[in-house]
Amino acid sequence: MISAGIDMGTQSAKVAILKDGEILSKGKAFCGFKPKDAAEEAFGEALTNGKLSRDEIRHVTATGAGVDLVSHFDSTISMMGADAQAGVYFFPSARTVVDVGAEDARAVSCDERGTMLDFVVNSRCAAGAGTFIEAMARALEVKLEEMGPLSIKAEKATPINASCVIFAESDVVSLIHRQKSKERIARAIYAALADRVSSMVHRLGIKPEVVLVGGIAEDVGFVAALERTLGMNILIPEDPVFAGAIGAALTASKRIEKVK
Amino acid sequence: MARKIEGEMKSKPDMSEIEIKELRNTIKAASMKAIAENIERMKKAWPDRPQIMQYFDEISNFFGQREEEIRAHKEAGKKVVGYTCMFTPVELILAADAVPVRVGSGWYDAAKLGDRIVPVEVCPVIRSTIGAKMVHLSPYLELSDAIINPLTCDGRTKLSEIIGADKTVWTMCLPRVKDSPQSRNLWNEEVGVIKKKIEDLTGTKITGKKLRASIKLVQKATRAFRRLQGIRKGHPVIMGRDAMLVNQNSMWDDIKRWTEKTEELCDELEKRVNQKVWACPPETSRVMITGTPMIWPDNWKIPNLIEESEPQGLLVVDELCSSDRLLYDPVGVDEWTMSDMLDAVAERYLLTSTCPCFTSEHGNEDRINWLLDRIKEFKVDGVIYYVVRGCILYAMEYARIKKILDHMDIPVYYLDTEYTREDVGQMKTRIEAFLEMLEARVEI
Repeated sequence: MISAGIDMGTQSAKVAILKDGEILSKGKAFCGFKPKDAAEEAFGEALTNGKLSRDEIRHVTATGAGVDLVSHFDSTISMMGADAQAGVYFFPSARTVVDVGAEDARAVSCDERGTMLDFVVNSRCAAGAGTFIEAMARALEVKLEEMGPLSIKAEKATPINASCVIFAESDVVSLIHRQKSKERIARAIYAALADRVSSMVHRLGIKPEVVLVGGIAEDVGFVAALERTLGMNILIPEDPVFAGAIGAALTASKRIEKVK
Repeated sequence: MARKIEGEMKSKPDMSEIEIKELRNTIKAASMKAIAENIERMKKAWPDRPQIMQYFDEISNFFGQREEEIRAHKEAGKKVVGYTCMFTPVELILAADAVPVRVGSGWYDAAKLGDRIVPVEVCPVIRSTIGAKMVHLSPYLELSDAIINPLTCDGRTKLSEIIGADKTVWTMCLPRVKDSPQSRNLWNEEVGVIKKKIEDLTGTKITGKKLRASIKLVQKATRAFRRLQGIRKGHPVIMGRDAMLVNQNSMWDDIKRWTEKTEELCDELEKRVNQKVWACPPETSRVMITGTPMIWPDNWKIPNLIEESEPQGLLVVDELCSSDRLLYDPVGVDEWTMSDMLDAVAERYLLTSTCPCFTSEHGNEDRINWLLDRIKEFKVDGVIYYVVRGCILYAMEYARIKKILDHMDIPVYYLDTEYTREDVGQMKTRIEAFLEMLEARVEI
């Protein structure tokens, strides 16, 4: 039984294909100005990687902020529902799944079957999402992938005004002018984002284990900052950026089962 | 001193007559479009919507039949008394042969205009009312000879001062503690004072006979209202948005005619109960809304999303002072003496309220009990806790209510939004996830 999940995010489209509950292949494409093509491209890549043809896929479930831009699918699931499914698939002990994407952050609590029990979302403000780190990396003139390693070199953070991305950017510039170390500024940037995500998770209520998914889970700087502010270890799956797509594919499998 | 300096200008914005007219026309056109679109969407979601709903559609047009009727009353010499909040004892207005009409606003574009006078942090319901006054958008507000503004929250308190710049505004001071003897005394006195003001404005003495008649009139409306609410407790024969529209209409329609039409609607709906003709599948998740008032026509965003979502939700009941709390409680009179009637009217507005502007020894426990009772009676599957930015009182009561509902295993979702059309996508994502969650719980 082969199923697929498409996660149409704000920055990239991700596709995961499952065979009998095991991940068979994945595909990813950046949205750029043609998000519709990105979904197709990611799907094509996943099919090629799995040496499959489209007809072999029994059910496709789509999710993500841009789900309306996906042209072919059989059903949809909310991003929060997909996160819950994926979190428990990766770690059966997971009861809270935190997902920080490019433009929003969310936290879901779930049961042992991956059924969503409650959720909270922050999509009001870029200071609470992954884009914040990108903007700050630009201000610090370091590459995005260097931000995390840079931040963990610092033992302390230099406080910044992170209530707003735009203000934070000018604050960072003035800190550089005052010759504050980039390491400490980077650490402060992660601390600011982690604080926002942490208050969101607290509003939901923290039930261990906590899993972090989404692109930012690969960023050592953010993971360290979030673990510090939550005061606990966080589980990170392999390829966390595909969590939404995998959650959608798991939903697709369940829906095939249900029809049987 | 200050009064001498400001003279007549007060908080009035500097806008030319041409600008005011242009803005009014633009917002009015957008509003009429919103009214038509909302009605179309409601019809689409409920293909066999009863014929009688057309009446309520008609009355829900702020720039239509009802505006003309109120204008005609005014021309015939009647006074129009507008009010901003459901604490206003409409029985007293009716008893003086005046026309009561609610003037709170649900206009998104008007809220943007309000930003010119007050900061965006102020609740949009208030900003929208200010904006509407700035460009003379609301026919009901403009036609009012006086506005009764009960001072519930901070926004409403300052609202009086701002719209009072060129309108007669009568405030009614509400106590913060609802159930103490001194609070009761204060409120009773406020009701007495407002009675006198209404009498002076209209030149009509509110006699015992007249008050008794108006109490009975509103009691009949309550009976019709409760009948409709009763029907909503069972399998769905009416969509939630439609019931909400009917209930909101009671705020500006002629109350006698509204009662007759609502009874007529109930006759039709009861037929459908017998024939088992459902407005949507009976297994549709049953949703309750609680929180900030949600006012027609622009602020129909959330009800639209709930009832058009995939999976679909059915709005079975709400705890909003703009709909399902409006007429629920009748005035309970023991003896039909003037003082007893006035006490009963005062009591009906104060003691039955679940508004978070109150606290007491046990906090606003009445609201929690109200919610728990309705959740049981209406078989609610999940609660949407709706708050607009700046609505501090509702926002602050969330934590306690969430804890209790969690304990009762009733899912609740905190939906915070603004008077804007731009966040529809985000709202849709959240509402869909919430309804998906309710559906998944049933499947388990």
